[in-house]
Amino acid sequence: MFALLCFSINLYICRKPCELDGARLSATENHPVSFHVSASSPGGVTLLPRCTDQRTDTCPNVVSPLLPYISDLHSFSILTLYLCHSPSLSVLTSSFLPDYISGDFDSITPEVKAFYADKGCELIETADQDLTDYTKCLVKMLEEIRRRKLQVDTIVTLGGLAGRFDQTMASVETLFHAQSMTQLPVLIIQETSLAYLLRPGIHRLGVNTGLEGEWCSLIPIGGPCQTVTTGLKWNLDNQVLQFGTLVSTSNTYEPTAPGSPRKPVTVTTDQPLLWSMGLHIHEK
Amino acid sequence: MVHDEGQGIQCFSTSGKQRICLIILNQPIDKKHLHTLWGKALLRACADGGANQLHNITAGDRDNFLPDYISGDFDSITPEVKAFYADKGCELIETADQDLTDYTKCLVKMLEEIRRRKLQVDTIVTLGGLAGRFDQTMASVETLFHAQSMTQLPVLIIQETSLAYLLRPGIHRLGVNTGLEGEWCSLIPIGGPCQTVTTGLKWNLDNQVLQFGTLVSTSNTYEPTAPGSPRKPVTVTTDQPLLWSMGLHIHEK
Repeated sequence: MFALLCFSINLYICRKPCELDGARLSATENHPVSFHVSASSPGGVTLLPRCTDQRTDTCPNVVSPLLPYISDLHSFSILTLYLCHSPSLSVLTSSFLPDYISGDFDSITPEVKAFYADKGCELIETADQDLTDYTKCLVKMLEEIRRRKLQVDTIVTLGGLAGRFDQTMASVETLFHAQSMTQLPVLIIQETSLAYLLRPGIHRLGVNTGLEGEWCSLIPIGGPCQTVTTGLKWNLDNQVLQFGTLVSTSNTYEPTAPGSPRKPVTVTTDQPLLWSMGLHIHEK
Repeated sequence: MVHDEGQGIQCFSTSGKQRICLIILNQPIDKKHLHTLWGKALLRACADGGANQLHNITAGDRDNFLPDYISGDFDSITPEVKAFYADKGCELIETADQDLTDYTKCLVKMLEEIRRRKLQVDTIVTLGGLAGRFDQTMASVETLFHAQSMTQLPVLIIQETSLAYLLRPGIHRLGVNTGLEGEWCSLIPIGGPCQTVTTGLKWNLDNQVLQFGTLVSTSNTYEPTAPGSPRKPVTVTTDQPLLWSMGLHIHEK
C-alpha cells in the first residue's frame, strides 16, 4: 500500500477530463492535492514490494503500482484521499475526499475549502513560514502513518516538477528533508516525469514494467556525487556528477536483445543523487 | 568585481534599449514574450524543436518571425517545419554531438555568430527550458553553468512567469524596480553549497550557506518599501555559482 500526495500544477490524475461513476471530473491548474490509497481496485492491486534489504535500497517496479490507478480511473473503487490543497473538481464523488488538507491556505479557494469542510475533511492550517506546504503536508502524512500504524511502502506525490521554478526547486528540497524524516521512498510524478532522490549507498531500480518511458537521468542537485551505474546506455564508472562538469540527462536503458527483459539499473552514490525518468501514461 | 545586472529584466520593457540575442527552446512560447523580445533581438535562433514552437505560435505571421538559424540534432523538429524554414532561407545547422544538448550547441553557435558579426550584445535570452521533461529542465541549468566558461554575457532563461539566471561567484547588483517583476524571488544552490550574503530581500542571507538539505531560499520576496518609493536593488554575494530565479509579470504594469 502506499500513500499519495498531490501537489501543485496539472493534477496528474485528472490531466484530461475523465469519467468516474458517471460523474465528470475536471481539474484546474495550480491546485495541489494529495491522496492516500487505502484499498484495492476491482482489478487487484499491484503492490510495491517492501524494501527489506538493509544494505541495498531495492525498489523494483517503482512505477507499476501507481500506473493502474492513474491510467484508468474506472478501476478506482475505494479511495481515501489526503489532500494538501484540492483542485476545483467540478463534480466529486465520495471516492475522492481527502483525509486532510493542510497548508497556509493562501492558494485554496474559499469555495473549495468550504466544500471539503462540509464533507468532513480535516483542514489543518500550518502557518510555519520556514517550511513549504509540501513539506508540512509530508510531516502530517508521516504522523498519520505512525498514528494509524499503517504499513506503507512509498509516498507518491503528484505535481511539483513544473510551474513556478522556485517551487519546483522547493519540491526537490522537500525530498532532501524527507530523507531525515522517514526511511520511506518519496517520489514526485508530474506528467511524464518522475523524480526520486537516492540516498547515499547502492540502489537497484526495476525498469521493466513496460511503464517506463525512454529517458532517464541522474542529477547531482545539491553537490557532487561520485557515481557508479549499471544498466544504462551511458553508464558512470566512478565518475563525479556535478553541475558545470557532468550531469547525466537524456540517458536511456542498456539495449537488450528483442524479447529480453531490461536488467535493473543499479546506482551507487556517495551523496544524495536525484534519479529522474520518463513514464508512459498508459501501460504498453 | 561587482556585476551590475540592472539590465537583465529590462529586456522585457517595451521602452528599453537592451540588445539581446534570442534562443528558442522546445517548450510552449508565450506570445507576449516573443513579440517583446523578437524585436529587440540582433540574432534569433531555434534549438531543434524550438522551431516547432515558433512555427506554431506565429501562424498567420510567420514571415515576420524567421530565425537566423536552427541548430540541433533535428530529432524533434518536424519535417514540415524544417522544410518551411529551409524554403525561407533560414540556416539549418545539424549538430550531431551527443555529449552536448541542443541548447548548449545552439548557444555555442550564437556566440560564434556574435563574434563573427562583431555584435554589441547585452544579454542572451532563452525562451523555454524550465518545464516539461524534468531531465531537460535540469539540462537547461547545466547549460547555464557551461555558459559561464563560454562567455561573459549574462544568459537568462524565461518560461511563462519564471526567470532563471546563474550568478557567478562574486558580488551582484540586480535592479528589480522595472514594474515587470512578480512578487517572488529565490536563490537556489543547485550545484553545491554557496556562502551567501544578500540585501534588498524580505528574508536576507547573512553569510549563511545555502545548500540543498539545509537551506534553500524559495518563495522569498523584495524588501518592503514605503508607498511610492522605488525598490532598492537586490545585492547578492556568493562564493560559488548560485541560481537566481524570480517571477515576472507578463504585462508591464
